Amino acid sequence: MSTVKLIWDNARHDLKAADGRITVLTQTALLFFLLTLTLVSASIQNYLKANLDQMLGSDVVVESHVPLEDRALQTLRSETQGLAKSELLKITLSFEKRWERVQLKLVDNAYPIQGQLMIGASPGADQMPAKRGPDIGDIWLGSRLATKLGAGVGDQIKIGGENLQVAQILFHEPDRLMEGHSVDLRAMVHMDSLASSALASSGQRFRYMMMADEAQAETIETWAKDALPGATVLKKYGGQHPLSGFWRRTENFLGLASVILFFMAAVAIDMTNRRWLANMRYRIAIYTSFGTSLGKSMAMAGGQWLTGFVLSTVGACVFAAVAQDLIVAELQAYFPGLSGGLYLAAIIKTVALVFILLLALQIPTFNQLRGSSVLSLIRKAPENRYLLQRLFWGLTSATLLAAVYSDNMLLTAMTLGAVAVALIFMTFLSWLVLRLGDYWGSRRAGLLPFAFFMMRQRIFSKSAQILGLGLCGLLLLFSLMLMRDFSAMIETNSRVEEGNLIISEAQEKHVGAIHDWSEKTGSTVKQLRPFLSAKLVQVNGVLLNDYMKKPSDSLATLQEPIRLSWADEIPDNNRLVDGNRWEVGTEDWQQISAEPEVMTDMGFKFGDKLTYQIGGETYTFTLVASHAYKPGGSFITFWFQVPLSAREQIKTDTYYMGSMNLPEQAWSELASLWEANPTLALLPLKEMMQRLEKTLGIVTKVTSGYAAMVLVLSLFVVAASVSGFKADDQQKNGLLMSMGLKEKDCLWLNFYDWGVTALIAAAGAIVGTWMAGILIYEDQFGLFYNPDPIWVVGTISLMVGTVCLIGYLACRQSLKVSVRDLLAG
Amino acid sequence: MRDTIELNNISHYFDTAAERIELFDNLSQTIGTGEILAIVGPSGAGKSSLLSIAAGLEDPEEGEVVFNVGGTPIDKMAMRANSGFIFQQFHLMPELDAIGNLALPLRLKGNKDAFDIAADWLGKIGLEKRAGHKPHQLSGGEQQRIAMARAFVSRPRFIFADEPTGNLDARTSETVIDLMFGFARETECGLVVVTHSNRLASLADKSLRLENGALEIAA
Repeated sequence: MSTVKLIWDNARHDLKAADGRITVLTQTALLFFLLTLTLVSASIQNYLKANLDQMLGSDVVVESHVPLEDRALQTLRSETQGLAKSELLKITLSFEKRWERVQLKLVDNAYPIQGQLMIGASPGADQMPAKRGPDIGDIWLGSRLATKLGAGVGDQIKIGGENLQVAQILFHEPDRLMEGHSVDLRAMVHMDSLASSALASSGQRFRYMMMADEAQAETIETWAKDALPGATVLKKYGGQHPLSGFWRRTENFLGLASVILFFMAAVAIDMTNRRWLANMRYRIAIYTSFGTSLGKSMAMAGGQWLTGFVLSTVGACVFAAVAQDLIVAELQAYFPGLSGGLYLAAIIKTVALVFILLLALQIPTFNQLRGSSVLSLIRKAPENRYLLQRLFWGLTSATLLAAVYSDNMLLTAMTLGAVAVALIFMTFLSWLVLRLGDYWGSRRAGLLPFAFFMMRQRIFSKSAQILGLGLCGLLLLFSLMLMRDFSAMIETNSRVEEGNLIISEAQEKHVGAIHDWSEKTGSTVKQLRPFLSAKLVQVNGVLLNDYMKKPSDSLATLQEPIRLSWADEIPDNNRLVDGNRWEVGTEDWQQISAEPEVMTDMGFKFGDKLTYQIGGETYTFTLVASHAYKPGGSFITFWFQVPLSAREQIKTDTYYMGSMNLPEQAWSELASLWEANPTLALLPLKEMMQRLEKTLGIVTKVTSGYAAMVLVLSLFVVAASVSGFKADDQQKNGLLMSMGLKEKDCLWLNFYDWGVTALIAAAGAIVGTWMAGILIYEDQFGLFYNPDPIWVVGTISLMVGTVCLIGYLACRQSLKVSVRDLLAG
Repeated sequence: MRDTIELNNISHYFDTAAERIELFDNLSQTIGTGEILAIVGPSGAGKSSLLSIAAGLEDPEEGEVVFNVGGTPIDKMAMRANSGFIFQQFHLMPELDAIGNLALPLRLKGNKDAFDIAADWLGKIGLEKRAGHKPHQLSGGEQQRIAMARAFVSRPRFIFADEPTGNLDARTSETVIDLMFGFARETECGLVVVTHSNRLASLADKSLRLENGALEIAA
């Protein structure tokens, strides 16, 4: 007990010193970020799970992008106690001169089979339950849609030549969960009201909702795995929400962002560790001088570190709980009814991860502590700095964290690669500048030569300081630059000079109508690129979901049908990255080229066999090449491309995407184009900009929070850098003053010292950012790295200025104490 | 039964880049409890190294050191648990007050009465009124009295003192020497003192001079 109390006393004493406080604050900040992320994610996942139980609208659902064949349907009927069919597609509904893009649900007589369908007579009317969906010839409009279109019960709406009567206002569908959190406007009709073929679109979904007990649901899931490779099965018992993968990915992305924060924290902790280590070595030497064994002393040092960690954890948990409440309140707009909670298992998992990472960072420190001896109290023992070990464990911990969160190994490797290059560069530059500076000053008098001499004498500690500040500068600069450029890119993209109306999907039969309408209204079709809808179902004969278990952006996209394009020559806005692309006119049509990022995320390699379900049939292609987007040309590019000859072999509809330019008077005529072609997906640029601005708003909120965390940790690094080297500086200044130097001279000397440190660190930061820019920008974001020199110089000047100012303030502070005290320090 | 440290034919040297510096050669000496031994000699003769070897902090290059406690030979790690040290630079914990420093060895050994015992010892060295003072608020002499009492407080079998009065004036040194010798006799431990002070050496039971690599009884 006495020993435990002593550990606690020591930890308290350490916390009274600046280094101790910075260490605990840094750990707290890091834990706070990860715990907030964990708690918010756990709240969302918990909400989704509850949502799955309550809002599936059936016990088991099979969803496919092609209608099921009769035999499959018979199997489903025989295995369950009831089945309802629905079909979903996006169309444009027009009423009088207004139009809106709508998610249309076509339902049969059995719908709904579970849960309640709520309807009313007007958007503001009381809601009442409906036993079944709309009758043939009727349409039910969602309340928001009715308001937007200005249509009410009794109005007639024309879809693809059919007149439908608005019979009810739709408030709630029991299978709403299947739409995820889509905020699309909604409408519902009976399946027999419209000819399904007239409404075909590439994003069409066929949904089969069934009543089944747990065993039947299980049987269906197993059966569908083989019999319906392109279908998704969702079940109430032990199932997973369709959005849970998406949120896991969001968590992964933010977790990966925490690698940068972790790096900064590691730098700050490494710097403050210098003093902690010196104190602990001294403490252990004295303890051993009383006969305490080294093992017990080490255990006490470990206990003391653990005390700091526990304090950080408690603090971080409290702050994270508050942050969770605030964020959950914000997210309630997207997840109605979402509530926070204390998710102990998730908290323990995250705390354990951070514990392991921080412990790994302490390994070199504990190794150094093992060398503590009473001898060091009798005579000064040489000190091994373990610089390589510190670097190794720092990088290992960051890599481990990246491995836990990363679902984009290429991006992670590039980030870590850029950091490594910057570190090597700064090490070399520090060595060169300090050596050359010392050589230059060896036969010169004055403060600057003396400053170089001093820095050269302390080259090890100086290098650690430079590396720390430089790394922090690199990460800060890169994060800020990426956010600035990313926002700029989103804005630029929204002002694409390729027309003011995006054709996001048109069918073969629409092409003629588009051209006719354009001629009539004086509009111009800027471009139309053909594609077909294909769903990747197998890789090398293994089902996609069995092939890849790790969530990633690419996997999430590939779980839905993608747009497959065909071309013999590489398109103008693409470049060949690797592999052997087919020759023009090739007859070997079963070849495919993919984007490198998809290949990395999915672990594809050349020679892999990719099987796609296209129009109910499966086709297998061999991966032979990779292509990437080349900025400057058209904005339309495809993840996968096959040879021209493949098109003839594949029996399915062709779709197009492109853009148009409409003169002012043509906009009012759009309703007529849509009325005749409801499935034609057109997106006015203005609308797209509004959507992008909304997205940008969310992105800005998230990135601002992240930038704030990066800035807080940067401040910790600078504070740690000043505090960790305070003793050295005090001693130096004390000595110099005792030799007759004036305060002003000490301040100048200090200014030179910090100036050189900050300049080398800034050079490292620029090189690292440039490296990261070259590697990451084009490859990951399709951006050209073209740094604005004024912006870079401005940011760097600010950084150098801040570091020098803080150094100046610290020096002024240390100069206030008398020479006697300085020497004692 | 007397506890002993036997130095048997020990030799010690260290190498620099340019040369080998021989400290002493083929020394033998037995140090026992209940005995105060002073080691004197010029600077650089190897006194501190001899002290470190006797305390088991480092090994001699040649020869052997045997520690006997409670009638049985023990290794140097076990020896550490039976030793205490007094340093020239005092080495008090700056963050602890006087009584905290004094109680430290007892707390490390899990003694629940650590602070009561430490308070008694503070009385013995005449610093009971300074109990709450941090080291930087104490004079050199006061710091060394606390450091010395700290070495004795857990009653180790051997105490090794490295120039304990090296940083003190003559008058303060007298007080410290009297207290140190008094405590050594009271606790019946073995006290080995490395010193430049002839006065201190003359008060020891035995005084040895280390010079030119050889150890001889001082006059």
